[in-house]
Amino acid sequence: MKRPVEQAITGFAWLSMAMLLFAVFSVIGYLFLKGYPSLDTRLIFGDTAVLDALLLRKQVFNGLFPAAAGTLVLVVMSVVWAIPVGIATGIYLAEYASARVKGVLNLFFDILAGIPSIVIGLFGFALAVFLHKNFSRAIQPCLLISSIALAFLVLPYLIRTTQMALEGLPEDTRLGALALGATKLQNIFYVLLPRSLSGIMSGVILAIGRCAEDTAVIMLTGVVATAGIPKSLFSGYEALPFYIYYISSQYTSPEELLTGYGASIILLAICIVLFSAAFLIKKRLTYIAFYRS
Amino acid sequence: MNDNRIEKTKIRVTGLNFSYGGRLILKDMNESFEESTVTAIVGPSGVGKSTFLMTINRLWENIPQAEMSGKVEIKFDGQFRDIHDRSFSPSRLRRLVGTVFQKPNPLPMSIFRNVAFPLKLAGEKDRELISYKVREALTKAYLWEEVKDRLTHNALALSGGQQQRLCIARSLVMEPEVLLLDEPTSSLDEKAAEVIEDLILHLKERITILAVSHYLDQVKRIADRIVKF
Amino acid sequence: MRSMKETIAERTFLLSAIVSSSITLIIFGFMLFMALPLLSGGKILRILSSAWSPGNGSYGIFPMIVGTLAISFLSVAISFPVSIGCSGFIGILGPRQLNRYLKKIVQVMTGIPTVIYGFVGIFLLVPIVRELAGRGSGMSVITAALMLSVLISPTMILFFNDSFERVPRSYLEAADGLGANKVQKLVYVILPNAKKGIIMGLILAFGRALGDTLVALMIAGNATQVPGSIFDSARTLTAHIALVIAADYESIEFKSIFACGIVLYLFTTAIVLGVRYLASGRRKMR
Repeated sequence: MKRPVEQAITGFAWLSMAMLLFAVFSVIGYLFLKGYPSLDTRLIFGDTAVLDALLLRKQVFNGLFPAAAGTLVLVVMSVVWAIPVGIATGIYLAEYASARVKGVLNLFFDILAGIPSIVIGLFGFALAVFLHKNFSRAIQPCLLISSIALAFLVLPYLIRTTQMALEGLPEDTRLGALALGATKLQNIFYVLLPRSLSGIMSGVILAIGRCAEDTAVIMLTGVVATAGIPKSLFSGYEALPFYIYYISSQYTSPEELLTGYGASIILLAICIVLFSAAFLIKKRLTYIAFYRS
Repeated sequence: MNDNRIEKTKIRVTGLNFSYGGRLILKDMNESFEESTVTAIVGPSGVGKSTFLMTINRLWENIPQAEMSGKVEIKFDGQFRDIHDRSFSPSRLRRLVGTVFQKPNPLPMSIFRNVAFPLKLAGEKDRELISYKVREALTKAYLWEEVKDRLTHNALALSGGQQQRLCIARSLVMEPEVLLLDEPTSSLDEKAAEVIEDLILHLKERITILAVSHYLDQVKRIADRIVKF
Repeated sequence: MRSMKETIAERTFLLSAIVSSSITLIIFGFMLFMALPLLSGGKILRILSSAWSPGNGSYGIFPMIVGTLAISFLSVAISFPVSIGCSGFIGILGPRQLNRYLKKIVQVMTGIPTVIYGFVGIFLLVPIVRELAGRGSGMSVITAALMLSVLISPTMILFFNDSFERVPRSYLEAADGLGANKVQKLVYVILPNAKKGIIMGLILAFGRALGDTLVALMIAGNATQVPGSIFDSARTLTAHIALVIAADYESIEFKSIFACGIVLYLFTTAIVLGVRYLASGRRKMR
């Protein structure tokens, strides 16, 4: 290869990297530059006293508290649905399924993982309409429907990480406890699962991040612009990502727009922390799991 | 003489074939092993020595693509039992047939919990009995004196030789009648290996031992009988 | 007693697997069921090929299909060369000390919410494009494609890097032995051997762009015409679903968005099948 061509390739690699970093840091930098004046407790709690808001004694009207609370409840509920099913399915795939069954199920979960979130949201919405028409007039898009739809969305993540963590264990780890007389189930619970905990945990964290940031699913399944803190499983609720979307087109004053920037910074921070944690947590977690004296 | 031999037989292998991924590794093997002896299994690598051990504790069943035919019988309570019989659960078998691997494989937990682990698997709840058995097993494995003051320490902090003796203790805690050793000293230095050899000679009084080994001088020192693969 | 426990556990795991895999089918079945009145007879072709004009009783989704494909292709076309450059940089060309951090940054980038890209897009990118185009609102195919390319490039870079790392070490050592420099190793050894991985990453990133809702919804302008240039406003299938959802349950308008859902479902399924086909080919090769 000619020297100038090589230099051009190296130069192109540097340029690409610079462009990517420029793009990311202008997105993040722009948000902080515009949004940083909004960062104080007023952003979240508005004119309400912090303690009153946290103890739910007073409603917060002009802060992000209801949206943040909505996102928190939503994430917890979705993950509570998805974790047991996801991990159990992952165990089945890695430890019980025959090669043939595994092939078919893997295809199903690959497809599920590929379905756009808006389509999952549309399904959730259709489900709510269906239940509304056929079972109870009381059912409409709401927190419960959203959390179930989001659970569908993150299920493949949990299944995949569990399955991969288990399948990645070396053979001697697999056989060690069996040679000591462990049954298959004992081997799974005493050895294989604890050993794959870090992998599974990173999947759980990714799932949490995905639930927290998703907008497309919830905008079809029950999120609303103003609802206060979530009161019931069967009512609408607020959420941070939807608030950002809503403000971007419906803001009426510069102050309102500023809270949009603030909400963006908070959501971005949550997601970055979660994703970094998913990558960092691996080693530490196995350590914690095994040394309870 | 002949009668006596049958009487003393502990393990009987007849017509054993073993293949892995379609490749035949063991073909029509017939072999028997006597009670309270050490049999050394020798041969070049890759001829199925470790595989053979796996047919005696049924661990091969957990290896994907492995297939076996033939019969393996072990005498328990004076009666030969086909170990692949459906009524004989693999976990029960593996409590009677202990296995120690080439690389020491303590679990990432304390020394005490490692040795107590098989008891936990068997559903033993009596704490005093567990303590007693752990101590007994560690003593038999020549490890008690070295670890008695740090039973709650992480087993992974032990030296290689100590880890291997810990694994032997962990197999002994279920009071097995057969012990399978797969090159138990190959990852250890000479001194640690000597201790283990000494231990093997001591254990054979009560246990039938099958040991895969690469070292001819070691084989001479410990084996009553040699089986070449 | 114990074997009973084993059986119950196995059944539970199996049941979970059945439940979660049936979701894949149920979603498709539901879409089909809801869109059924529209799909019978020759109506399906009309929907797929005609314009969206509810006032005239026409509920075609053709402009949205074009919009989706235009924006996705363009975003992949923009981010592919950049991603190849970045993974070449992280994989071999750049200073090793720096690359550890760069890889972490790219990993974390995958976690940036799509609504954030949309939000920043509105206030940062849209005005710039408006200036450059010299017409319109600045919400256009190219605006969305640019922002989406930032969104999908981490996926591509991580996938490319992964396939770079899977090139057998012995190949690289052989090249080293022949005195190849870094660029030569990249061009003659790594890239040819990672070709399949690169194609797979490309397809997956395309799927990511195709399935994204918020970026296009917020900054592509959502016009229901077929875009004539990259500076024209366009609407994607995903955005269309989000915008029409408020219609009356019984209306044809409402039912037509399930046709969008089916099209998206089939697109992404085709992508998954394509990637799996490539992956199985790779396994056979070894």
